[in-house]
Amino acid sequence: MRNSTPKDIGSINFGLMEPEEYREMSATKIITADTYDDDGFPIDMGLMDPRLGVIDPGLECKTCGKHSGSCNGHFGHIELAAPVIHVGFTKLIRRLLRGTCRECSRLLLTEDEKAEFHGQIDEAQKLGRDLNDVTKAAIRQARKKDRCPHCGEIQYDIDHEKPTTYYEVQQVLTSEYSQRIAGAMQGGEDGERMSPDELAEETDIELSRINEILSGSFRPRESQRKAIEKALDIDLTEEDTNKLMPSDIRDWFEAIPDEDIEVLGIDPERSRPEWMILTVLPVPPVTARPSITLDNGQRSEDDLTHKLVDIIRINQRFMENREAGAPQLIIEDLWELLQYHVTTFMDNEISGTPPARHRSGRPLKTLSQRLKGKEGRFRGSLSGKRVNFSARTVISPDPTLSLNEVGVPDRVAKEMTQTMNVTERNLEKARRFVSNGPEGHPGANYVRRPDGRRLKVTEKNCEQLAEKVEPGWEVNRHLIDGDIVIFNRQPSLHRMSIMAHEVVVMPYKTFRLNTVVCPPYNADFDGDEMNMHALQNEEARAEARVLMRVQEQILSPRFGENIIGAIQDHISGTYLLTHNNPRFNETQALDLLRATRIDELPEPSGIDDEGEPFWTGYDVFSELLPDDLNLEFTGTVGEKVVIEDGQLLEGTIAEDEVGEFGGEIVDTITKIYGKTRARIFINEVASLAMRSIMHFGFSIGIDDETIPEEAQARIDETIDDAYDRVEELIEAYERGELESLPGRTIDETLEMKIMQTLSRARDNAGNIADEHFTSENPAVVMAESGARGSMLNLTQMAGCVGQQAVRGERINRGYENRTLSHYQENDLSAEAHGFVENSYTSGLTPREFFFHAMGGREGLVDTAVRTSKSGYLQRRLINALSELETQYDGTVRDTSDTIVQFEFGEDGTSPVKVSSGDENEIDVANIADRVLDSEFESEQEKQEFLGRRPRPTNLSEHADDRLSVESTEVSSDD
Amino acid sequence: MVDVSQHELVPEHTVLEEDELEEVLSEYDIDRTDLPKIKRNDPALPDEAEVGNVVKIVRDSRTTDQAVVYRLVVE
Repeated sequence: MRNSTPKDIGSINFGLMEPEEYREMSATKIITADTYDDDGFPIDMGLMDPRLGVIDPGLECKTCGKHSGSCNGHFGHIELAAPVIHVGFTKLIRRLLRGTCRECSRLLLTEDEKAEFHGQIDEAQKLGRDLNDVTKAAIRQARKKDRCPHCGEIQYDIDHEKPTTYYEVQQVLTSEYSQRIAGAMQGGEDGERMSPDELAEETDIELSRINEILSGSFRPRESQRKAIEKALDIDLTEEDTNKLMPSDIRDWFEAIPDEDIEVLGIDPERSRPEWMILTVLPVPPVTARPSITLDNGQRSEDDLTHKLVDIIRINQRFMENREAGAPQLIIEDLWELLQYHVTTFMDNEISGTPPARHRSGRPLKTLSQRLKGKEGRFRGSLSGKRVNFSARTVISPDPTLSLNEVGVPDRVAKEMTQTMNVTERNLEKARRFVSNGPEGHPGANYVRRPDGRRLKVTEKNCEQLAEKVEPGWEVNRHLIDGDIVIFNRQPSLHRMSIMAHEVVVMPYKTFRLNTVVCPPYNADFDGDEMNMHALQNEEARAEARVLMRVQEQILSPRFGENIIGAIQDHISGTYLLTHNNPRFNETQALDLLRATRIDELPEPSGIDDEGEPFWTGYDVFSELLPDDLNLEFTGTVGEKVVIEDGQLLEGTIAEDEVGEFGGEIVDTITKIYGKTRARIFINEVASLAMRSIMHFGFSIGIDDETIPEEAQARIDETIDDAYDRVEELIEAYERGELESLPGRTIDETLEMKIMQTLSRARDNAGNIADEHFTSENPAVVMAESGARGSMLNLTQMAGCVGQQAVRGERINRGYENRTLSHYQENDLSAEAHGFVENSYTSGLTPREFFFHAMGGREGLVDTAVRTSKSGYLQRRLINALSELETQYDGTVRDTSDTIVQFEFGEDGTSPVKVSSGDENEIDVANIADRVLDSEFESEQEKQEFLGRRPRPTNLSEHADDRLSVESTEVSSDD
Repeated sequence: MVDVSQHELVPEHTVLEEDELEEVLSEYDIDRTDLPKIKRNDPALPDEAEVGNVVKIVRDSRTTDQAVVYRLVVE
């Protein structure tokens, strides 16, 4: 069955096909436009001829003998009554018509020019440039010739009427030439009169001739015409168009010599230009245009079949008419009709041509429509397709899972299967899966016997089937805990948008994931859905486990630091745990660490006044750190964080320590202790933080943003102050005393100064409000630790919302000369231009609310526009860069092996393998020490290796001095 | 006229000798047409550079101190 060996594609050539080739590959000639006869059998030499392949199951293909499914179908052909132009080549046909002689068909270039363009083509090919540039230049050059350099024939311009009509445009003597000459000799409004004598003199034509021309009895020759035109400054020509029939063009192209088309970038071995004019039309196999049987037994044909029916009908009428000797006009009409049908058969969306329509009025989907666009063959069927073994549902958080895991609903697990090859060793398991049936959880849906027969496991047959399972069978069992699956959230903007997780089967209907993997997926739980794919072969599963697991993606290739880490409440939790280093009794300390690997507390940090032992937050946190970790850096809060030998000695653990984008401790652990250790650390930090935040309790309410009346009064005062200052500025402006800043107009200066004053007022209000918040205030904790929100948010909640802006300016739009109808015209004051003096807690006035909505709307529009713009930009960038690849020699090259970078990133290093940090200096000594330490079991071994050379023997006495010096050094080192 | 090649932001461009070029080409196992290209009318090129020559460009780099790039002069 499948004994054909796999083959590599060596190369692909594109070219035109010869009519004879169409005939050779054709299974049958098609002559009738009918499909099926009254009994429902396909008609011989009709469009559904059984030699074109089979679509009905059970029938045998008349050409290859295979059945439907294994027979790919075979082409047929239609002999066209007259040649027609292939729409796909109209541009090339036009170029060839313009570049070759109408008489001898040779390229309108001299031998030298030809050689020159030949060379250019070779060069462009070598440099990987676009050949079109050269060939276009060659045609441009050829078009300049008005006479053929080979046979001397005059060349005419070729006009192309889209899509498929070509005309020769000739400048011929107008029939009104005598009138025009006479008119010009009379002189126009300002022109001077010219007598026939003078004209004869000027043009060197005999006077008698001139008189003959003037009387219209002699048509001037071309040279004479030109002379007269020059003398009188008139145009004596008119355009005469001469339609080129496809058969003319075909004859023309047949005579083009091979060496001439080479210059135009066409390989004559493979493609002759006359093949662009079709004389034979291939008929796609029925498998490419299957007919569908409707419920009522009627057959419905594919769009392509409909189009082919049209072509055959017209083709036949054409032949009949021609044989009957119909007038040229009718023949030409039919020819045009045939051209139209063949054109729309290939492309039904050509501008200037009405699309061929179905009876219902729907435009037909013909060949080009099948390929083009998002739903076309390339983008819709080849680059992206629908797949089996995939699931999609809403996501929700589960902090008890490891970051490597994903909670899969049992009903999903029962649908997705993994293939299990039954052996003696897993026979028991396999039988158990099968006996559980398709409904019980670790069950099975299908089994495959060694003879290849696939059996569905049902509730009824599962018990008996289980007994029959033997080694050599395959069992499609349900997903169980520990299976590896691929998990994805759109938009898949970076490689961390698709990661591999281990399955944990769970009840209910959502996918569950640890909250620390939200940043790489950019996921939240407000209704986001995600996709899961169950892997179907061992190779894929191994690759996913080794390369794609979440822990392998902790470091982002974008900036080389960790992208996974503590977020939001985790950060508040560690902050509460370590800020001011609180104390815990034994029960509390054990409770904090209960979700971690730590099952024994360290030595107590001290004994409190009541004689009870206590553990500090630092000590509890330090339990999670690797024993020999040493770190020192400036942390989130601005104070130093010191870790020595895995013990946190100083500092508060918050965003910059364990956070998502470059948390220093997470980053260091990942780089020094590996990804597995980092995964454990992140999981444990998250668990500890959750326990810690639950211990302390963390909630926020409106009272947390309310300030005492006294403070409110001070804020009002500062704002009133600012209003006064704005008023002063406006008065100064109106008196014309305001001095403009360099490079600004007076108006701009005023605006800027008002903005400055008001923003200072808001900051002052914020500062006053801040004074009344303790460091225990939950909003302050979140802002300080970097968990969520900023001090500015707090200012706006408690102090003053501040100036609303649209396009970075105060609000200036709305009514004529004012923002809202509540204000006087040309009011420059703060409140008339969107300054919100209230805070969110105190509440906005209606006018303030309106201004706030204006500023808010701009933000929304901006984000909407930005995402769509940047999405398209990124799509184009990715498509442009997707073929670049780093080679084994370190260079980055494209698919034609042209070098793009001589060394990847100029330094040949991967960002995730490089130590990060602002100083960006690699601490070589530290690394060397670490490598050495890990290499040797004891200090002594290390010293031995470090080349304290063994005492040399058999040296001459002269070496004694040097030796003694060295030996003393060694001993002092020890 | 401003000579851009003297500007501090324009890296040093030198025409590569034939034997040096051979070395480079064999190092990367390429033909000279596989190199990145630079147009002859590029103002940063030294005057003696001709079409078909290869220039060596040594520029400051953010990741390494100095990065070396070779370009084939075209057109």
